[in-house]
Amino acid sequence: MTNSNQKTYIFHVRGMHCDACTLLIEETFKELPYVSRVHASLPNHQVTITGNFSEPLELIAEKLTELVKSHGYTVSLEKSQKSAGWGDFVYALPIALVTIVGFFALQKAGFANLITSSNVTYGTAFIIGLIASVSTCLAVVGGLVLSLSASSAKEGGTWRTQTMFHVGRLGGFFVLGGAIGAVGSSLHLGLNANIVLGIVVALVMLILGINLLDVFHFTKRLQFTLPKWISRHVVRGSRHDHYLAPLLVGVGTFFLPCGFTQSMQLYALTTGSFMKGALTMTVFALGTLPVLALLSFGSLNIAHKSWKGIFFKTAGIIVIALALLNLANALATAGIISPVFNI
Amino acid sequence: MNKAIFISIGISALLVGGMFWFVSGNIDVGANAAGDTSAVSISDGKQFIDVSAKGGYSPRVILAKAGTPTILRVKTSGTFDCSASLVIPKLSYQKFLQPSGTEEIAISAEQAQGTMQGLCSMGMYNFQIKFQ
Repeated sequence: MTNSNQKTYIFHVRGMHCDACTLLIEETFKELPYVSRVHASLPNHQVTITGNFSEPLELIAEKLTELVKSHGYTVSLEKSQKSAGWGDFVYALPIALVTIVGFFALQKAGFANLITSSNVTYGTAFIIGLIASVSTCLAVVGGLVLSLSASSAKEGGTWRTQTMFHVGRLGGFFVLGGAIGAVGSSLHLGLNANIVLGIVVALVMLILGINLLDVFHFTKRLQFTLPKWISRHVVRGSRHDHYLAPLLVGVGTFFLPCGFTQSMQLYALTTGSFMKGALTMTVFALGTLPVLALLSFGSLNIAHKSWKGIFFKTAGIIVIALALLNLANALATAGIISPVFNI
Repeated sequence: MNKAIFISIGISALLVGGMFWFVSGNIDVGANAAGDTSAVSISDGKQFIDVSAKGGYSPRVILAKAGTPTILRVKTSGTFDCSASLVIPKLSYQKFLQPSGTEEIAISAEQAQGTMQGLCSMGMYNFQIKFQ
């Protein structure tokens, strides 16, 4: 191999949206025997490859695509026509609005009044979980799940990512529920921490929602991506699936501001036993699982359908609306603005 | 295609309009309703306000006397939803109420002025006490 045979080509990569994606692409292409240098650039959606190529460019692009197709990337010679897909809004906007109106109507239905017992058995904990998953908590927990899973599906995440989230949620509820049962001291956050958390969650959802719309390019720069050195470890460790991050987010949902979750935690607190606290919280989390699983695995399935553009835009609009709702609610709780909504 | 756009915009406008009507209808209840006085009782120079918390607060708008030491009694019965997590920003009050029971919150004569807003920690449910 002499230097004279070394050529440098620039290819365009479609579907490369995150720091981890650039790493994955670099790692994959570096393994090719005739490639000596790879540099993937996120802002340009380009990958620069230096190597000893003997085939025509088109064939190289095809071969490279073959390697990363399973992760949702396409390598091409020319920048693929970036279409914002405005046409998708024709369907996405009404669908999103129907869903939002449906959500408000659901709140009007007064599910909370279905709970008549004041004793918490595992059965009631499950039912409270079921009710919680279609209640106001849906705006916070469900909105976050929808935005994360739709974003993850869009970036080529697999069912493993989604499963890890739910495993993390159930496991987190078991361990933390047991902990508050045993220790007897509450893990509740104070009022100010609650407000700050509410605002942070709302902002994360807002940015994820805008990204899902895939219309504006500036949010790509605002995107919440793990620092490159962290993603390097995550990618090295498990290739393209991030295991740790969704697991931790799942555990973190224990602390999300959701009235139902917090009153179950209050009950777990009074049990005074690890197993009782752990089981109560786990059963409650199991009750919320059907709706949340539907949201996350649903978005994953749709991500491979031809009408995924409509779905992502619909999800984007819904997530943005819920983010604004959460933001308004957090500010109202802080006493900064008067309550905007009353359901 | 143009037809689809028109239909889409039409449906969207209808839904947004409907939602505004729906939300503003709620606000009207808050702003125009004279307010409820039946929840207020006075004994021994103290004012008692009874509010029940379950799937929201009731009554939503309460008229009370200003400048009177007041006890706000919030009653829960099998309340597991957000309304159990009561926040009163003006009093810097936040507490998780027991699923069933009555919580007494003292409001001093100085604090019993103007409009006091109570809401659940997620902000979806709220009630107002108007001290007059």
